[in-house]
Amino acid sequence: MKSDFSHILDTIPPSGIRKFFDLVIGAQDVISLGVGEPDFRTPWAIREDAIFSLEQGKTSYTSNSGLLECREAIVDYLARRFQAHYDPKTEILLTFGVSEAVDIVLRSILNPGDEVIVPEPSYVCYTPLVQLAGGKVVPLNTSDTQFIPDPDQIARAITHKTKAIILCSPSNPTGRTIPKDTLIQIGKLAREHDFWIITDEVYAELTYDESFQSVAALPNLKPSTILLNGFSKAFAMTGWRLGYVCGPPELISRATKIHQYSALCAPITAQYAAIEAVKNCAKDVQDMRESYKGRRNLFVKRLNEIGLPTLLPEGAFYCFPDIRQTGLSSEEFALRLLKEQRVAVVPGHVFGLGGEGHIRCCYATSLEELKEALSRIKKFMRSLK
Amino acid sequence: MNPIDTQVLALVSANARMSADDIADQLQISANQVETILKNLETQGVIVQYTTVVDEKKLPQRSGKIKALIEVSVRPEKRTGFEAIARKIAQFTNVVDHYLVSGGYDFLVIVEGDSLEEISSFVSDKLASIDNVRSTATHFIMKKYKEKGILIGQQPKEERLAVSP
Repeated sequence: MKSDFSHILDTIPPSGIRKFFDLVIGAQDVISLGVGEPDFRTPWAIREDAIFSLEQGKTSYTSNSGLLECREAIVDYLARRFQAHYDPKTEILLTFGVSEAVDIVLRSILNPGDEVIVPEPSYVCYTPLVQLAGGKVVPLNTSDTQFIPDPDQIARAITHKTKAIILCSPSNPTGRTIPKDTLIQIGKLAREHDFWIITDEVYAELTYDESFQSVAALPNLKPSTILLNGFSKAFAMTGWRLGYVCGPPELISRATKIHQYSALCAPITAQYAAIEAVKNCAKDVQDMRESYKGRRNLFVKRLNEIGLPTLLPEGAFYCFPDIRQTGLSSEEFALRLLKEQRVAVVPGHVFGLGGEGHIRCCYATSLEELKEALSRIKKFMRSLK
Repeated sequence: MNPIDTQVLALVSANARMSADDIADQLQISANQVETILKNLETQGVIVQYTTVVDEKKLPQRSGKIKALIEVSVRPEKRTGFEAIARKIAQFTNVVDHYLVSGGYDFLVIVEGDSLEEISSFVSDKLASIDNVRSTATHFIMKKYKEKGILIGQQPKEERLAVSP
């Protein structure tokens, strides 16, 4: 009996990123473009407030939803920064990063057989978490529309079982940002067919050319929107594990029920840190954004110059070069690049449909390292000819 | 100064040795434009000098400079106020920074020298002896923690995983 583990779980493979990680560990002198996190430390003002909270002895549980003071601060920030308006008492729940938020939201809305549309390539957690929640993933390959989900394609995928669509913009792994018009069209479909838009906006602050459009701020869409965001990327707080979900009270109360049993509450130290982050760290965020933007411009231009066609991503800190003309699969390309030139990238196929033929490069690493990586990739490309 | 000038300035302020190509590609302009902007900023005197932040502790023994902050109280002069005295002080080679400040004294003068003796004799012979200088208070710098926005000394190494989601 004991050897009979969860059947659903046994159908789900471990993350493809993880597999690659094991290969990189132990290799010497590797430049890694495989990370998914900022190369900044959490701004000192935030760390200092967290330390102060510890000195004050703030080490207890908080309410399941999170400290009201923290929820209020976040809600103010969302209104100020993205014109998204929520009630701090009933419409927000603090979670262990966005990852937990995705999990409990899906478990709150799905019944066996419900379908969730996932435009791919996508971040690696959506599909397994839909499956674990008993839902069925309907993946959409967005590679024909330059990784922007196409409303017509979405319309064709809708059935009477469609319960939600998961959007991630700016996107991990492509860095593409969904234009406002497209969001409006997707919103129209969601209203007509009565399904949720789960919008993962964790990279919202890292939008470089235009101001970010939150789905929650579009007219009439708030009742259909489940907004996910967190502190990892914008405030360089990956290790603090703090995210949040905003949505209608009937959704938040259900998500809170799961959170209450499985997580109890988000870490209190991270919550105190978060208050300082959203209140006083706009300048730090701005500086980090400027720094990523410069590196994006340089890195993407030079990738194109060395023969890897790469779209200029509007946000996040990833780009998604097209490697098809090398004739290698993305896995072969990544493995050989690692072995022959000691540059780690993530093969695109791990991100689902449309990822094959691409690699994900994270440019959140120093300019010197990026330049060295470019020169190694150039050598690698030459060796293929 | 237009926004691009400001951005170029920010990049060379952080790293004066950054190449024109690297600046150009980060700001999506041409290297020629970068050269022109830098020339203009130099001509206009916006960029006065390209300098280096040094951790003297890493230099061979005794070759490092000794630095001191000196609070100087003066008696302003008729008509010229602080200006004439300030110009007099600022011209000494030992003076590396010189500010007029609000508060309990008038000038904050930062001086550098090869030895304690050099600085002491600068203060007594050159600075305190100026007619309108009423008093000085010298603070030798014992340890540098941060200079020009740069933390000095060993920073712990980056601990990110090589590959992550």
